[in-house]
Amino acid sequence: MAVPKRKMSRSNTRSRRSQWKADATTLSTRVEAGQLTYFRPHRARVVTDSAGTPLYLEYKGRKVKDL
Amino acid sequence: MPTPTKGPRLGGGPAHERMLLANLATQLFAHRRITTTEAKAKRVRPLAERMITFAKRGDLAARRRVLTVVRDKGVVHELFTVIAPVMAERQGGYTRITKIGNRKGDNAPMAVIELVLEPLTAKQATVREAEAATRRTAPAEDAPVQAVADDDAADEAVIDEAVTDEDKA
Repeated sequence: MAVPKRKMSRSNTRSRRSQWKADATTLSTRVEAGQLTYFRPHRARVVTDSAGTPLYLEYKGRKVKDL
Repeated sequence: MPTPTKGPRLGGGPAHERMLLANLATQLFAHRRITTTEAKAKRVRPLAERMITFAKRGDLAARRRVLTVVRDKGVVHELFTVIAPVMAERQGGYTRITKIGNRKGDNAPMAVIELVLEPLTAKQATVREAEAATRRTAPAEDAPVQAVADDDAADEAVIDEAVTDEDKA
């Protein structure tokens, strides 16, 4: 098994990690009841009742899955 | 024909993948709708659609071909007697994959794959009818168009002559 010959310096480690970036999620917009809402495209949406309990998954007006 | 898949097999090897996909297809026909990972849903789709094509053919040879994949005779019977007649009007696209987000345990992207059992909408039916009509009339139209063009050319020639006559006068 290959083994590192030297200890990796704190500077090198931190330089490497400084390149880690989180990219923003691509979102689509839709006007819902006069209000602009954002959602993930090509992804089923959770439909909840008035109390916030998840009921089912919906995509393009079609019921996809019960929860 | 579906494009052959590149990359590693699902499961532990070729045989494992075959059985895994066969089981998924069987469950899909038994339950009409199953939840699985996106990768598996995409791989089972061509297999399941091929099975439905065989079911639409409906003869004994087709039934034996399907039985090599879907081992459950009850499910095969249902596929041939219930699912195939519903799909009779449909020319492919028998399944629908909807992405439903990531699984909690391992963050795997999940999807629901289901049989498209709704009848073709009126719009789709009319579009198909119109396309068929254009295909029927297209060969017949070629000859009259040619004749009309010739007539136009003759008319123009006559007009040209008339104009030159007037000029002389």
